[in-house]
Amino acid sequence: MFRFNPQTLKKLRRFRHIKRGYYSFLFLAALLVVLCFGELLVNSRALLVKYEGEFFFPTYTAFHPGSDFGLDYSYEVNYRELKQHFAGEGAGNWVLMPLVPYNAYENNSEDGVFRPTAPSMENQHYLGTDTTSRDILARLFYGTRIALIFSLAFTAWVYLIGISVGCAMGYFGGIFDLLFQRIIEIWSNIPFLYMVIIVFSVIPSSLSVPSRIGILLSIMVLFSWTGMTYNMRTETYKEKTRDYIAAARIMGASDTRIVFRHILPNVLATLVTFMPFVVVSAISAITALDFLGFGLPPPTPSLGELLKQGTANLRTAPWIVSAAFSTLVILLTIVTFIGEAVRESFDPKKFTVYR
Amino acid sequence: MTVVTIKRCWTHFAVVSLAITLLSACGDSGSSKDSVSASEEAALDNTAEVQAYYAANTDFFTFKTPADLPADLQWQSGEGLPEMGSPQARKGGTEYRALQDFPRTLRTAGPDSNGSFRVYLRDDVSMRLGLRHQDEFEFVPGLANEWAIGEDKRTIYIRLDPNARWSDGQQVTANDFFFMFWFYRSPYINAPWYNNYYGTMYTNITRYDDLTFSISAKTAKPDADARVLELVPIAEHFYKEMGDDFVERYQWRVAPTTGAYSVLDKDIKKGRSIALTRIKDWWAKDKKHYRYRFNPDRIHFSVIRDTDKIFEAFRRGDLDQSGLNQSEYWYEKLPDSDPDVQAGYIHKAVFYNQRPRPNNGLWINQSRPLLDDLNVRLGINYATNWQLVIDKFFRGDYGRMNTAHDGFGEFSHPTLKSREYDIDKALEHFAAAGFDKRGPDGILVRETGERLAFTVSTGYPTLKDVLTILKEEAAKAGLELRVEVLDSTAGWKKVQEKQHDLHFSAFGVFLEMYPRFWEHFHSDNAYDKAFLEDGSVNPQRKLKTQTNNLEAFASPEMDELILRYRTSDNTDEMIDLAHKMIEIHHDSATFVPGFYQGFFRIGYWRWVRYPENFNMKHVRSATQFFVHWIDEEIKQETLDARKSGQAFEPEINYYDQWK
Repeated sequence: MFRFNPQTLKKLRRFRHIKRGYYSFLFLAALLVVLCFGELLVNSRALLVKYEGEFFFPTYTAFHPGSDFGLDYSYEVNYRELKQHFAGEGAGNWVLMPLVPYNAYENNSEDGVFRPTAPSMENQHYLGTDTTSRDILARLFYGTRIALIFSLAFTAWVYLIGISVGCAMGYFGGIFDLLFQRIIEIWSNIPFLYMVIIVFSVIPSSLSVPSRIGILLSIMVLFSWTGMTYNMRTETYKEKTRDYIAAARIMGASDTRIVFRHILPNVLATLVTFMPFVVVSAISAITALDFLGFGLPPPTPSLGELLKQGTANLRTAPWIVSAAFSTLVILLTIVTFIGEAVRESFDPKKFTVYR
Repeated sequence: MTVVTIKRCWTHFAVVSLAITLLSACGDSGSSKDSVSASEEAALDNTAEVQAYYAANTDFFTFKTPADLPADLQWQSGEGLPEMGSPQARKGGTEYRALQDFPRTLRTAGPDSNGSFRVYLRDDVSMRLGLRHQDEFEFVPGLANEWAIGEDKRTIYIRLDPNARWSDGQQVTANDFFFMFWFYRSPYINAPWYNNYYGTMYTNITRYDDLTFSISAKTAKPDADARVLELVPIAEHFYKEMGDDFVERYQWRVAPTTGAYSVLDKDIKKGRSIALTRIKDWWAKDKKHYRYRFNPDRIHFSVIRDTDKIFEAFRRGDLDQSGLNQSEYWYEKLPDSDPDVQAGYIHKAVFYNQRPRPNNGLWINQSRPLLDDLNVRLGINYATNWQLVIDKFFRGDYGRMNTAHDGFGEFSHPTLKSREYDIDKALEHFAAAGFDKRGPDGILVRETGERLAFTVSTGYPTLKDVLTILKEEAAKAGLELRVEVLDSTAGWKKVQEKQHDLHFSAFGVFLEMYPRFWEHFHSDNAYDKAFLEDGSVNPQRKLKTQTNNLEAFASPEMDELILRYRTSDNTDEMIDLAHKMIEIHHDSATFVPGFYQGFFRIGYWRWVRYPENFNMKHVRSATQFFVHWIDEEIKQETLDARKSGQAFEPEINYYDQWK
């Protein structure tokens, strides 16, 4: 059974006492949970349909053609219309829609023209619609989800590769270290943004959207892991020469055991403090790429794409840019707050200027 | 305009796209040293080389005497056509415009010369032998005072205007037309398309005296006169130094022009701005059809890379005019209720024109799996909801294309209609192709589990919303469209390598008499050796890349019709053939006709004046023929009025005389 050592527990306690960071953390955690079950909140599919005495839960199932509910078409039923249809019939059938009854892709114009419409409670576009009458809240919601998942996956991979390579460099030293340092120097001088743009432009579009996002992720990881190695390398070098490592070695511990049981836990503090900032940079990078039009393939909802639309329609549809901008600011601020709190609570010097 | 044709089509759209602008932003620096080195290089003289070339190609370059001129020629000079431009036009003033990208070069041929600024250096400004009248479609004199069509219907005899001068004062003579052929056929210009066009489309130029010559087109077509009269001469004396280093040597040199505007060296501010200045004592300033055009003394272009910033600059009054073709600009960003419009400071105008329409639509690559099935293609046609795009995205302003060749008058098919959006018919055709079951996401699948999914790519990032709307609608008919938005260069490359499934794009328009078929539908452009001797399909045929046959369209029947069409000199026969070919193309369902814009819309400050009828029938844009003028007095009055809050009568005009 894994147990935190008292040092770590103390750090966690300190983290809880830094209110701003702690509450930000709780908020982000709650947000992630909500986003994970987003289909229940923001969706054009109904939560629950009662039709002819039978209940349907369409959210996570295969699509229901209109003919399933007595309509005359074979494509996916429009549940908002179905709701009105049932209400008009008065035959005891009903539809329960989610809070936001739109998905991120459908063009839903109220007045017969695809254009930005201002936020309105009445037609349930709580943040208005974008230039092709898609619901902004839905696009923001799913855009944020993709950005967050993307950045967390990005962080995990960057850490995995960065730690492995950095640790190995510091621990083995010598030729191996020298060689990898040179490789990393060369590698990290390749301009990251251009490489992403170039490589991503030759990815065949016949792949599905999720796999294209996966490829984008791996390209970004490929060009971002180098920064982590230097910290790991120096930390490992430092720890390696300590007495307890020498003791472990004399006692016959294997390299693997020394690295994983002794060195890694002791350099953890440095690593953890970086983590939120890596997340921030990942969110910024993916948003910037989308803004330039080289990121997630359309029509994937994304913050950058909304920002771009917003800046193009600053005068006529200010709600687009304000929604996207506020979301981005809030998201980045919260992650940064968490990062500061983590950094502070893991700081061995308790009294610092950062209070 | 004929000469620039295919190559230019794509650049029209390239200029619009923002992505290319972003990419090209990195490419402008480092060119300043070229102009320095060019002037330091030793002067060359290629006169001997040119003369030797003439001598070596006597079939093409012929020298005769005036006595050899056929006696019975019917000389014409476009008499009696109404004058283009307005007598009310006032000369003077400065017009302010914007460019999205600084020109990469001031050459009009060779690498990078095909940019958006070339229309001001050559296409729209240079004098041609004759000019197509934009209301009547007939020719009026340009550099030529009169011309005659020879007995073979493909040789055009030309008499140059003795007043015609280059902007450096030299007279325009037959030599400049001889030189033009040498120039465009020369390997020095690094432009294979021109080499090919001038090498194959003309067969002879004969000089009778300094001002009289004839040029023969390859085939006797009803529009052979256009092929010759639209030629633009090349100044022999200016290109004396032309040689291997032509591309660098002439990179930033301003060539003498026969037109009204030229670029002065002091106005070239690389990356920032460039200006056209009206030539003092321009030789054609009193010539009919020219005297009321080219009115502003100076046209100043600032480089503004972002389209939205261009619009904001217009709203501030820094730019005089702005296109409002996109619905969001016409209805949202500058609505009729806008205070500047209501106060009459900014005028809005819609002008319906008549000209061949760019064939916007989905080009289906038949060589891809599944797409070789007629039922699948028919299904795609019925599953594509262009009408919704037109009604809701373009707000009903645009029209639906019916064929790939709309707007060619009698040559366009009179009755064919494009297939409407019809889910039932689409499902029927998909079922006939074996796709009769919907998968869990509503997309049709075959029994083998194969999904009915295709990539629809485009090189127009600005129109990506159109594709996402089509995608949503196609899903209702069980068809999945995967949208791929590329920048214009990458998009063009993709179709040229025939890597696309469905591609959304259009071939450009230029005003000509009849549509082209060979480029798009002849089997020579689809496959290497598409058919065997006995007419059966060659099993080893390979897809041909770098052609404009985007559909891999290969049919012996079509090939034969195209051949007859290309060799025919009879207008009625050609019309008949064109209709037959358009029908075959329609039946093959390889193209989903999209939308066309039957007008152009523009907003302009009150001091920009247009003729009473605004513009002419066949023009492509408001400023193409330079019929507008700048009234500096009204400009001052308007600026003062804006300060004091005085309002004028608002002007929002619809010119639908050619609708």
